[in-house]
Amino acid sequence: MIVAENVEKRFGDMPVLKRVNLTVAPGEVVTILGASGSGKSTLIRCINGLEQLSGGRITVDGHDVSTKAGLVAARRASATVFQLFNLYPHMTALGNITLAPIEVLKLPKAEAEARGRALLERVGLSAHADAYPQQLSGGQRQRVGICRALAMQPRYLLLDEVTSALDPEMTGDVLRILAELAADGTTMVFVTHEIEFARHISSRIVFLEQGELIVDLPTADFFAEEGGLAVPRIRQFLSKLKKD
Amino acid sequence: MRFWRVIEPYIGFLLQGFALTVAACLLAVIGAVLLGALTASMRSSGNRLVRGIANVYGDVFRNVPFLVQLFFFFYGLPELGIYIGAFETGVIALSIAGGAFVSDVILSGILTIDPGVIDAAKVSGLSRVKIFTRIVLPIALRVSVRPMGSVLINLILTSSILSTITVNELTGAAKIVAATTFKPFEVYAVLLVLYAALTTLMSFAISAAHRRLNRFMTGG
Repeated sequence: MIVAENVEKRFGDMPVLKRVNLTVAPGEVVTILGASGSGKSTLIRCINGLEQLSGGRITVDGHDVSTKAGLVAARRASATVFQLFNLYPHMTALGNITLAPIEVLKLPKAEAEARGRALLERVGLSAHADAYPQQLSGGQRQRVGICRALAMQPRYLLLDEVTSALDPEMTGDVLRILAELAADGTTMVFVTHEIEFARHISSRIVFLEQGELIVDLPTADFFAEEGGLAVPRIRQFLSKLKKD
Repeated sequence: MRFWRVIEPYIGFLLQGFALTVAACLLAVIGAVLLGALTASMRSSGNRLVRGIANVYGDVFRNVPFLVQLFFFFYGLPELGIYIGAFETGVIALSIAGGAFVSDVILSGILTIDPGVIDAAKVSGLSRVKIFTRIVLPIALRVSVRPMGSVLINLILTSSILSTITVNELTGAAKIVAATTFKPFEVYAVLLVLYAALTTLMSFAISAAHRRLNRFMTGG
C-alpha cells in the first residue's frame, strides 16, 4: 500500500503540493488528473524519492521514503516509467532492462537476459533487443522503458505522463500494453492526460488543482453528473480536453 | 652517415631513457585517469564538504607550475619522513597534476548528462557507486574522451620535466648524451621522433576509445 499523508512540497517559496492525502491499495489503478503545473508529476517524484518532502509523510508498504533504509525498500517495491523515457543511451534495449535486475536483484546474467527477452517479446520488440535507444522510435523507447520497470517485478508501477511525448499511433501501442498490465492486476499510479483511457483502466481517479487534491473518487463516480462533474473545476477541465 | 655515427654509441642508453619515459607515462596516465574520475565524482557530489575538498585539489594543482609541484614532492616528502625513489615521486606528481586536469574534462562531460537518465538509475535502486561507474562515467566519457586525450598528451610531454629530479628518462638521458657528445642537434632530433611516436600512439588510442564509446550514437 502506498500512503501519502498531508504531503507538502515547496520549491523555494512556491508551494507545489499542499496537504495531499492519497492511498493506493494493491490491485488498484489510480489515475492522477490535473492541469499542467498542478503537481501531478511532483507527487510521483515524491513517492519514488526523487524529490524530498517539505512536510507530511509517504510510506510504501510501510517504508517511510524520507528515511534512507525506507527509501531503499520503497524503491525496491516500486518502479517508474518516465515521460521522456530516460533510457541509458549507452546500453542496448536489453542492457537497459537487465542492468538493475543484475546489479540490484543480483540475478544471474543469463536469467536476467532471458526475462528481459521475454518482456521485449511481450511488447513486440524481440527484434530490437540489441538496438541502442538512438536507433528506436519514441514509442519503441517507451516500451523498452516499461520493460525496464517491469523487469524489477515491482508491486507498484508509477507512470509519469508516459505517452505525452508520443504521437497518437505510438500512444496507442503503449496504452495497449498498459491496459494488459491493468487487466493482469498490476497496481499502477498513472499520471496522464489520456482521459478516455484512464476512464477505461482506472479504479479511481484523483484530481489535483494547484497542488491540492480536490477530488478522489471511484472512476464511475468521477464521471457521473452528481459526482466529479458536479465540481465546476472538473467539468471545465474535462470539457476543455474534449474540445482538443 | 654523420648522424648515425653520432647517435649509434648512445642508442642503447637513449632507449633505456625512452623505456623509463614510457613506464612513467603509462603509470601516470592510469593514475591521472583514476584520480580524475574520482575527483570528478566528488565535484558532482551533493555533499558540500566532499565537493569543496575536490575543488581545492583541482584549483591548487591546475594553478601551480608542474616544476614547482615536482620539487615540492621531491624535496618535501623526505621532510615528512616519506622516502620514495625519484621515479616513484615523479609518477605520483604527474598523476596528481594530470588528475586535476582530467577531473575537469570528465566533470564537463558529466554536466552534459540528461538528469532524467540519472533519475531512472536512482529509482531502479542502483547504488551511488554503481550509478557512477555504470551510467555516469561511460556517458560522460563519450564527450570527455577527446579533450582528455589532449590532457594525457600534455602529460606525456610534461614527463620530460622529471629529468630535473635525477630521473634519467628520455630527456634526462638526452641531456647527458648531448653534454658528452657536444652534438645537441642530433640528440634532440632523436627525441623529437620518439616523443612524437609516443603521443601519436596516444592519439590513436584516444580515437579508438572515442569510436568505441560512441558506437551507439551511429545509425538510427
